[in-house]
Amino acid sequence: MIRLFEIEWLKLKNYRVFWILTAMYFVGLILVLSSGMFLMQFLKSKGAEFQGIDPTIIPLYDFPDVWQNMTYIATFFKIIPAFIVIISVTNEISYRTMRQNVIDGMSKWEFLQSKFVLILALATAATIFIFVEGLITGLIYSTVKYPELIFSDLEFLAAYFLEMVTFLCFALLLGILLKRAGFAIVLIFMYTLIFEPMLTVNMEHNPWMKDQLSWLAPFFPIRALNNLIQVPFQRYIFMEIQDYVAWKDILIVFGWLSVYIASIYKLLDKRDI
Amino acid sequence: MSILTINGLVKNYGKIKAVNQLSLEVEEGMVYGLLGPNGSGKTTTLGVILDVLKKTSGEYMWFGKPPHRNARKKIGAILEVPAFYPYLSARRNLNIIAKIKGKGAERIDEVLEQVGLHSRADDPFRTFSLGMKQRLAIGGALLSDPSVLILDEPTNGLDPQGIAEIRSLILQVANQGRTILLASHILDEVQKVCSHFAVLKNGSKVYSGSVDEALNADKSVKIAAKNMEKLHEAVREFRDFKMLDSGNKLLTLRLNGTSTTHDLNTFLIEKGIVVTHLAEEKGSLEQKFLKILEASNDQTV
Repeated sequence: MIRLFEIEWLKLKNYRVFWILTAMYFVGLILVLSSGMFLMQFLKSKGAEFQGIDPTIIPLYDFPDVWQNMTYIATFFKIIPAFIVIISVTNEISYRTMRQNVIDGMSKWEFLQSKFVLILALATAATIFIFVEGLITGLIYSTVKYPELIFSDLEFLAAYFLEMVTFLCFALLLGILLKRAGFAIVLIFMYTLIFEPMLTVNMEHNPWMKDQLSWLAPFFPIRALNNLIQVPFQRYIFMEIQDYVAWKDILIVFGWLSVYIASIYKLLDKRDI
Repeated sequence: MSILTINGLVKNYGKIKAVNQLSLEVEEGMVYGLLGPNGSGKTTTLGVILDVLKKTSGEYMWFGKPPHRNARKKIGAILEVPAFYPYLSARRNLNIIAKIKGKGAERIDEVLEQVGLHSRADDPFRTFSLGMKQRLAIGGALLSDPSVLILDEPTNGLDPQGIAEIRSLILQVANQGRTILLASHILDEVQKVCSHFAVLKNGSKVYSGSVDEALNADKSVKIAAKNMEKLHEAVREFRDFKMLDSGNKLLTLRLNGTSTTHDLNTFLIEKGIVVTHLAEEKGSLEQKFLKILEASNDQTV
């Protein structure tokens, strides 16, 4: 495990594209996650109000709500680490280094494990980062700072970790399947942001389909991920939200995760590399 | 000890039989040449025994055991084009190989020196010329100090000086007692460095044996003396030979059976003939190779 991490690290640590994407990811997260209060002030200056409430008193960073708010926003950025995973594996295919790695003494399975290690490392780094970011902004803005509140609802961080790992395995599968970075990146982008959301929206709301098909929508791969951490912001206009991670969604996501890992393994096992 | 045993190996690409019922045996210390025209299945065979291509049927064993990644760690191999991370320096690329093999990191400088890349060690791989890339690939194969080396067309695309350098490198490595499996379509190359060879055609083996035996079978002796007539008479009394050419200035003959050039010369000295010219000429692998391919054509027809 440590050996595989070291090998992956040697491949990436001097790769400029990796660092640019990583920097984009973390800088993007810092900017968006830290700017909540300034955004509210901006909205107020434009005269916005939510059902009679002054936006600047909305407690976005109060413990423990901060965890769901942060992780929900952060999931929009998961496409960038997915690019890292796709580029890392398609590079190995086009440089023929995957083949050379196997010739030099890795098994195909070990090669895959080294990519899983990369995925776990990216997901862990992102989760820790969000925890620290939430802690700092929370300590600055939160009106309550009791340890028992600060450290409750951390399940959202676990859900975020699971979402990252699953989405990155999806990216790895596309990279190995399509072999070309550009193709895989366009496809994951279009599928995640357009194809699947449009399809599931149709299933649930199109009058010709919704009676027969709406039950199917939560089982779609991207929808299942999005369901893990539900939109939290309606609570500030006194609507009920799902402020927990549902077991049913966790199970669906684990189902997809195993499908991805099994398909990746099967694909590479059968293939001449 | 048997290093590599291939038994009835088959690799199909759809209907095309890239490797067809191939059996080979490579013993320790052999420098084994895999010959054949382009598309005869050399690289496919190497790809299968290095576990990057899936065999259709048959079996192969490394060091007498079924294939395993730990066997590959004891082998240094290059297959087709040199494969490295273009954005990493030569040194960092070798470092990754050492990490995968679990040995060799301390030999990086030594190997870079050996393949003449020490002054470019810290430049990115993508800035290298084809010859430098090929040399780095050989360096990568040598890094773990392997007992077995597999080289696929190692001089492909190199200039004459590069070819000479790689050849002397291979000979140098072979002289250290390592086993080498060399795939090439350049016959001269195999003749110069190999002890044994096999000829592939359309995925099947049409010949295998030792290079010396194959060439000695076609060995000829050219001989001349001041008095050609006397020489002619004397030679006629010598038992085992076949006259190939009896010119006025030079006789060319092939010795049969167990007679050697040494025997012939001894015989002539006893007859009191002093030769002015005595040269032993081995056949070329090229002639032999073409004969083998021709014979195999006859068989298939």
